[in-house]
Amino acid sequence: MREGTGGGAPAGEDAYLSLQHLGKRYSDFAAVHDLTLNVPRGELVALLGPSGCGKTTTLRMIAGLASATSGRVIVNGNDITTAPPYRRDMGVVFQSYALFPHMTVAKNVAFGLQMRNVAKPEIERRVQEAIGMVRLGGMEDRRPRALSGGQQQRVALARALVIRPSTLLFDEPLSNLDAKLRDEMRTEIREIQQRLGITAVFVTHDQAEALAMCDKVAVMNAGRLEQLGAPVDLYERPANPFVASFVGRINRLPAVAHGKSAKVGAHELRLTSTLNGEVEVMIRPHRIAIGRTGEMGGFNQVPGVVKRVTYVGDLVQYDVDVDGLTWSVEQPTTAARAPDAPGSRVDLSWRIADTLAFAKRA
Amino acid sequence: MAAATDDINGKDRFGLAAALLTPIVIINAIVFIVPIVNLLRISFNEALPGGGIGPAFTWENWVNLIEDSYYLEILLRSVWMSALITLLTLFCSYPIALYLHRASGAWRTFLFVLVIAPLLTSAVVRTYGWIAMLADNGLVNTALSWFGAPTPFRLIFNLTGIIIGLTEILMPYMILALLAGFGRLDPRCEEAALTLGARPLQAFWRIVVPLTAPGIALGCFFCFVLCVSSFITPRILGGGRVFLLATEIYDEAIVTLNWPGAATLSILVLIVFGAALALYTRALRRLD
Repeated sequence: MREGTGGGAPAGEDAYLSLQHLGKRYSDFAAVHDLTLNVPRGELVALLGPSGCGKTTTLRMIAGLASATSGRVIVNGNDITTAPPYRRDMGVVFQSYALFPHMTVAKNVAFGLQMRNVAKPEIERRVQEAIGMVRLGGMEDRRPRALSGGQQQRVALARALVIRPSTLLFDEPLSNLDAKLRDEMRTEIREIQQRLGITAVFVTHDQAEALAMCDKVAVMNAGRLEQLGAPVDLYERPANPFVASFVGRINRLPAVAHGKSAKVGAHELRLTSTLNGEVEVMIRPHRIAIGRTGEMGGFNQVPGVVKRVTYVGDLVQYDVDVDGLTWSVEQPTTAARAPDAPGSRVDLSWRIADTLAFAKRA
Repeated sequence: MAAATDDINGKDRFGLAAALLTPIVIINAIVFIVPIVNLLRISFNEALPGGGIGPAFTWENWVNLIEDSYYLEILLRSVWMSALITLLTLFCSYPIALYLHRASGAWRTFLFVLVIAPLLTSAVVRTYGWIAMLADNGLVNTALSWFGAPTPFRLIFNLTGIIIGLTEILMPYMILALLAGFGRLDPRCEEAALTLGARPLQAFWRIVVPLTAPGIALGCFFCFVLCVSSFITPRILGGGRVFLLATEIYDEAIVTLNWPGAATLSILVLIVFGAALALYTRALRRLD
């Protein structure tokens, strides 16, 4: 997937955090395999992938909590591959927050500064500043267990920020919060990260989180980097079928391509690229329109029969049968038109540009 | 509405709890509380020659206990020996418990069985084992003499022997108590400390020790109490030359047939336990 990694700077020249051919081998399998990733200064990069894809292992190798079996970790030009975690100067926010339960909020936040032998008045000032930054003023003397999940999350963030780390590392920090709080913390973390201009890596399995928060997203699967790119690149120009189906929902249809068109069942679809042989054609459900378009120039079109209709308010989800294959189609709703009923014959149409096609992987 | 339902549930649950607790309360009352009250009463009875217990009320046994410095000596020796053994047991057991806490799978089960296996043999057998190890011509002295040490060292039939033997015998209890108290120890907390710049030793003292303190307190309390009340091991490994509360109670009751005196010493042991319990409760409250 080397061609997919073009989003970063070449060879880590002006990268702040650079992972070079990083690998982690256990006796019987490779958790991370030949991972090269460059993060420019001040950027927030997501490591996105299904569980077990090696994203957390990668984060732990950056933090020094796991040792790399090959490759290098470079921060600001310094090779820290073998440095112990306490010399790495990384702020880590753990999934479980890992707050010290026997210390108050203020003492949790002060811990890193005490370990750095910062003078007492300075510690007090910076702890106050950090607690203010995460809007926890007045909570200084509480114990972690007396705080809500969101508040604990903020303490963890303050504790990581107060040491002014070279890099912030997040390990699925939002997965223990409910949906509303998650959205709130998402914005807040992003805001603080941008305000401080701090370089950060954000591990998540939630693609919406990765797309919404991060400058770039590295999609990982089975220990390998599948694609690194800006959110819009991943979504609109996925490098391979895995990225296409992992980031957002998509219809996957077996087809046979010949030049700039492919045959799905009995229907000829036009493609944007030239391919031959067995391919997979992919179309996102909400890019497909129901109904005939006037001019057919830039569009593909197939007829089908509605099998199932799910009305969820802001949109309608259809299962449409096209020659025995079930396609997912999503339409925004409008008061002007009732959803099509099951059994109705419909025409599906979508832009040629929205038709993705990938050669079958050997 | 919800409150009313809760109330009914509360009453039901109280009734159930009372019903379930009744048998143990009755058994404890008969085999534990009544004898202790009896013991307390005997300690205020006269000791008659030939092992009799006089019916008259007297302070004599208690006055005797306080006035005779011999008893104070025994009390202090028992307490500091038990405290020392508790500390030694803690130092020997803590690393094992910590390792066990972090181990997983079949390896953990195997180690766990190793730890509790000694409990399957009686303390008497293990104590005789220590005689074979520590005697003048025992394993330890023989091994030391190979290295040219001026042997034999007197490792047995003195306080040293008791300390070595009891430390080993109490270790499984200490390890189990420590493990029971390690619940709050989250490896992520240690990792967080490391990423915040703590060296491993700093992380140990500032994070691991405080988080395992409830286990340490429980284990120490447990071991101290077992140690003060242990009889067989001090009796055998002390060779009758080390006088402790437990051995003294035995002597008074069985050898000199002074039951009121033995009862008084037994109550003294209970007072020591009470003090230990008070200390433990205070430690727990401070930890929270």
